[in-house]
Amino acid sequence: MKTTFKRLALAALVSAACIGAANAEEIKVGAELPLTGSLARVGAGMQEGIMVAQEVFNKTNGKHTIKVITIDDESAPAKAIAAVEKLASDGVVAITGGYGSNNISPASDAANKLGLVYITSGGVDDSLVAAGRKNFFRINNSAGYEKALVGLLQDVNAKSVSIVYSTKDATSGLAKDVEKALAAKGVKVAMHSFDPAITDFKPIINKVKLQDKSEVIAMVGYENDYVGILRAARVLKPSVKAMVGVWSLATPKMAADFPDLMPHVFGTALLPFPAEFKTADGKAFADAYKTLYKKEPDYLGQFGYVQSMLLFEAIARAADKGTLKKGGVADELRKTDKETLIGRVQFGANGDNPNFVHRMGQHQDKKIVIVWPKESATGKIAYPATPW
Amino acid sequence: MKYAKILAILMFAYAVVPLAVGANNYYMSMLVAALVIGGVALSWALLGNLGGMVSFGHSAFVGIGAYVSAILSAKHGVPVLMAVPLGGIGAVLASIVMMPVLRLRGPYFALAILAYAHIFRILATEWSSVTGGSGGVSGIPGFPELFGMNNKMASYLVAVTLILVFALAYHRIRASYYGIALRAMHDSEDATRVVGVNSTVLKAGMLMVSAFMAGVFGAVNAHYINFLEPDYAFNALWVTLPIVAAIFGGYRTISGPVIGALVVYLADQLVFKTLMPTGHQLVLGVLLVLMIVFSPSGLMSLLKKKQAAPHA
Repeated sequence: MKTTFKRLALAALVSAACIGAANAEEIKVGAELPLTGSLARVGAGMQEGIMVAQEVFNKTNGKHTIKVITIDDESAPAKAIAAVEKLASDGVVAITGGYGSNNISPASDAANKLGLVYITSGGVDDSLVAAGRKNFFRINNSAGYEKALVGLLQDVNAKSVSIVYSTKDATSGLAKDVEKALAAKGVKVAMHSFDPAITDFKPIINKVKLQDKSEVIAMVGYENDYVGILRAARVLKPSVKAMVGVWSLATPKMAADFPDLMPHVFGTALLPFPAEFKTADGKAFADAYKTLYKKEPDYLGQFGYVQSMLLFEAIARAADKGTLKKGGVADELRKTDKETLIGRVQFGANGDNPNFVHRMGQHQDKKIVIVWPKESATGKIAYPATPW
Repeated sequence: MKYAKILAILMFAYAVVPLAVGANNYYMSMLVAALVIGGVALSWALLGNLGGMVSFGHSAFVGIGAYVSAILSAKHGVPVLMAVPLGGIGAVLASIVMMPVLRLRGPYFALAILAYAHIFRILATEWSSVTGGSGGVSGIPGFPELFGMNNKMASYLVAVTLILVFALAYHRIRASYYGIALRAMHDSEDATRVVGVNSTVLKAGMLMVSAFMAGVFGAVNAHYINFLEPDYAFNALWVTLPIVAAIFGGYRTISGPVIGALVVYLADQLVFKTLMPTGHQLVLGVLLVLMIVFSPSGLMSLLKKKQAAPHA
């Protein structure tokens, strides 16, 4: 009898140890990112957010542990496919990351074929969600940027706008969407496209100054484009009331690098600078970010964090239900409805987040103030106001 | 001995590699990407070696081949295996537009053909009704599953077969009367003209052959990636990487550019990238410098010297 009890006790101990081991099992998640090549800066920014999400999730979840395995896709589509396949062979259960629609499209195709969930915030091209990939999820989109840009222009009651935009896919698509939305509201819009290779924007700004005579210049491009446009505008001083842009403009880095060009410039911004977080999740993100990277968090990190936390939480739920390798991660993501650092996130049938709306920030006294929408504002809008 | 060597290559390409790594998606991806670069490198070397023309504009042929094949198959329902050679023909038509640059020599030819590549990229961006503009073409169909093999294996077999066919064509051209004339022209175009060779016609022919080969491999890549946009299709990497591969392997040989592409790409991705997840291109750069300094004729020449050494 004594022996039987001993055996039972031993079996119970072994079972408990096994369950403990199972619970403590590390779940591998892949991160496919451009850490070198033309998209290296944005890829590195997103990676910071992903690593912060790993840190916060592992500290707070208490049951499951996530291990992120990162592969550099070198900003090249063929290498993005290879990265996804390598991560799959390493046993990851899902992929987070991706930047640039030309890399995300083939990489998410590869993930789809392998039955892996792919979640990103790095591509706003609508064809990504129209392609019918059942394991594809995205937390931001072009429509959210359009709403913010149009919303701000409406709030300042702009009657005429000149849109200066790069011919690249995301920028030209957004510029045309904004043009349509503004025209529908009776705003006079002039369109000026430019090749991504050009650096001298004086001819375009001259056209705006002498021909369009618009109230606002809306820039839809990337960092170098903004700098070129703002430099040209500083020289020619068109009689506009505001300079407005989109991504990578209302950032602390731009304020620090171009203090003479940025004052009063508007751009999409999720965060004021210095960063302020009111929620527990936001504070956890900011604290972990500062601990890991010794700097203030930026919007790329914020996007990377949000997409990864949503994924990790879905993985945890799927693991609890025992459906981790039976499509459970995608099912759990489809059930997601959560207030996050970028607003409410849900996923539609195509994997897109219909709730995404960006915010608009303005460079004011070397700080970034959120000025749109009113409910998120951290300061008053300065209008009319230009950098010169 | 010669036939045994050919048989061994065929056995290795069609049996050993598929059996050894066919089940591993990652390795197959690496191989397909390396073979595409090898194919473009072969086409570049053919023009440089036999035509005596250093081209910095092969990205135009790659891009046009990719676009023609992608549009025909994705928007007009042309079967992929038919669209790929049509992509090559599209690149040939583009090379005809480039014919005026054949009047130029040396760096002037290189720069003029580079400008053409830029023109085609802008055309692909602006002609949005056909090319999809900067948004590009998505949902490009992949190679069909052949005899129960998956898409990846089909891509590999198509790429290998095309490399072998083009290498054979290269060999035949080189051994022909035209090949001899071209090689003579490479050393002295004026002297060759004096003996009655029409160098412009020969160079035009070589440009068209080279464009066809690069266009076909651009098409293969488009069907493998399933997505195309102007910046990617006409990227400068489609010139620089094949040139590096051809010079590394030995651009005066037929196998050199392909071997060079396989060694450069696979060593970089499978070895150096594992050791240095970022910045691994540095190792490759150092290796290339060493190769050019110590064996400017390339890897194949170095291997031949090593083999010949014991008998010397």
